[in-house]
Amino acid sequence: MAEEKAKSIDNASLKMIEKAAKDGVNTAFDRAEAMKPCPIGMVGSCCKNCSMGPCRVPLPKSLEETPEDKRKRRGVCGATAETIAARNFIRMIAGGAAAHSDHGRGVAELFLAVAKGEASGYELKDEQKLLQVALDWGIEIGDRSNNEIAVDIGEKALSEFGKQEGEIDFLRRAPLKRQELWRQQGVAPRGIDREIVEIMHRTHMGVDQDYKNLLQQGVRASLADGWGGSMIATELQDILFGTPAPVLSKVNLGVIKKDEVNIIIHGHEPLLSEMIVAVSQDPEMIELAKSSGAKGINLAGICCTANEILIRHGVPLAGNFLQQELALVTGAVDAMVVDVQCIMQSLPDIAQCYHTKIITTSPKAKIPGAVHVEFDEHNAVESARAIVKTAIEAFPKRGSNIDIPKETTDLVAGFSHETINYLLGGIFRASYRPLNDNIINGRIRGVAGVVGCNNPRVTHDDIHVTMIKELIKNDVLVVQTGCSAMAAAKAGLLTPEAAKYAGKGLAEVCETVGIPPVLHMGSCVDNSRILMAVTAMVKEGGLGDDISDLPVAGAAPEWMSEKAISIGQYVVASGIYTVFGVNWPTLGSKEVTDFLFKDMEDMYGGMWAFEPDPIRAAHLMIAHIDKKRKALGIDKARERVLYDMDMRRELDAV
Amino acid sequence: MEYKIEKKPAPGRDEVEVLGDTFEEGKPEGEDVGKWRQKLGSREDKLKYLQNGERYWFSEEWFGSEKRKTPA
Repeated sequence: MAEEKAKSIDNASLKMIEKAAKDGVNTAFDRAEAMKPCPIGMVGSCCKNCSMGPCRVPLPKSLEETPEDKRKRRGVCGATAETIAARNFIRMIAGGAAAHSDHGRGVAELFLAVAKGEASGYELKDEQKLLQVALDWGIEIGDRSNNEIAVDIGEKALSEFGKQEGEIDFLRRAPLKRQELWRQQGVAPRGIDREIVEIMHRTHMGVDQDYKNLLQQGVRASLADGWGGSMIATELQDILFGTPAPVLSKVNLGVIKKDEVNIIIHGHEPLLSEMIVAVSQDPEMIELAKSSGAKGINLAGICCTANEILIRHGVPLAGNFLQQELALVTGAVDAMVVDVQCIMQSLPDIAQCYHTKIITTSPKAKIPGAVHVEFDEHNAVESARAIVKTAIEAFPKRGSNIDIPKETTDLVAGFSHETINYLLGGIFRASYRPLNDNIINGRIRGVAGVVGCNNPRVTHDDIHVTMIKELIKNDVLVVQTGCSAMAAAKAGLLTPEAAKYAGKGLAEVCETVGIPPVLHMGSCVDNSRILMAVTAMVKEGGLGDDISDLPVAGAAPEWMSEKAISIGQYVVASGIYTVFGVNWPTLGSKEVTDFLFKDMEDMYGGMWAFEPDPIRAAHLMIAHIDKKRKALGIDKARERVLYDMDMRRELDAV
Repeated sequence: MEYKIEKKPAPGRDEVEVLGDTFEEGKPEGEDVGKWRQKLGSREDKLKYLQNGERYWFSEEWFGSEKRKTPA
């Protein structure tokens, strides 16, 4: 009998999974066990884009597919398995790019309202970033006020979504060679919305039926996400709320406090959460909480809204994606405030077993059974106050069935690419030179971005942590975002002390600079910060002319969402080898998979790979890093020779 | 950053203005722990920092590996 897979490596989660079973609560872990993934849909071999189907075109069970078998593998409309797999894949990109980009649009709308003085309670906190974006977009600075500049930036940002021709403007931040490559391949995005809409058109029944052409449109839409919608979200959030700098905090369910009003903030957009952070510190609110018998108000976060308020305010993390239900199971969460993305519909059902109020805040994301307090950017303080009051009112209704795990771990987060630049050289010598030099001299073998979700099909957090430990052990500096960063945080990898897990070279550098070997750069839209960091490495010089020359790799070992596919695709199209775990959604077509795994390397210098085993995946990444080191001629330590005068004369004579 | 100017007696002159220390005193505490952008005070300082610190994108000429290339 096969050994049962552990549900998590995190003790706090395991305790709450056990408590959930005792309390009669059904979680994602139970549901994943009860419902196996559809084997045809999992590999991209099911098309449900019209009512002649759904059509299933699975690979034959025999190892070799005959030409006859292949001819038969078509939908009713005649679409081949390749077309179907490519359609499904790029529809995932469209979904992911739409999610990130609509987040960016929401930020841009609030940003413009703040700039015009129409959103009370908000301010433009980071003038430095405001000027940076103004320079990027050619917006006049002169003696104009920050608000005047911001109005132009806000309008420009919104116009990037609906642009019909030309190129999105942040594309010009990429290395010059990369920009040229995108133009040659015909994948430079014209406008953010346009590329997403075009995917939906091309994948409609009877439109684009060339899998290569479909996948190229997937590339174009993904670039509109990474260098467009996501980057706009990151940059404008930085101007509004501040560019992240290192901040000390804690992670895991133990941050929930028994004697305080616990508000968990969950989702992805920090627009309202920023205001909840401010309101929860209001003395009037704290007094109200005390009058309800609580000692104060405790905020903590789940998923990427949590990452956003962590990197700017140090608000602790209650946990990652698969801990959202488990936080409720503690019985001590008084309100869970959700915005958009990665929110499980089971939350209101679970909340019924306890006293918790689930509060939806976005008109785009309502859940039956939840209380809806709509976020109004023109009156955000009032929305935030209403939410905090709801939590305070829930506090006295807590049941006796409270059990909060004790586990918490310290972490340091907030490594924006600007802060890394500053940390490596200070105000007067800010530079990526020390990083490049240490890669060239071999102390650091390369850099890996490990990002993405949790997935109950694999042991929670295990794949992330095992992969990251293997990478840093081999002197690979790891940069992170999203739920993956939270997994590493729980394992204690986001503190400088984690240098003990690193190889000798990487540990030396981390100890000298005073940074952890694993750097938390933010939320999932903040993967755009990783794009900027690798671009800075290219532009600093010494490691080639393009991102694809760098000894770097990417991974999303526990991925589950369409956003992860969009991120992976723009990372690949930016020139980075990227390994995904869990399962791979095009395995139903060898041609499509080969195009993504092999042909893309010739086209973009980066390609996809699939490897569910974290150690093997880490070694694939290390092998790629070594391949790039060899191509750069930095794979071997060079003998250092001190030239005497005779040797110099000899050199001159040549 | 704001420079400290100290007045000191000088031989043959009454008092002269001398540039004071430019280092940070000790370990930052409270809100400022880990933060660095507040060190750039005026807009002029911030623009100068962008040209130098963020020179990969904002120096007057292309930087590093791209210095020798024609603009894309």
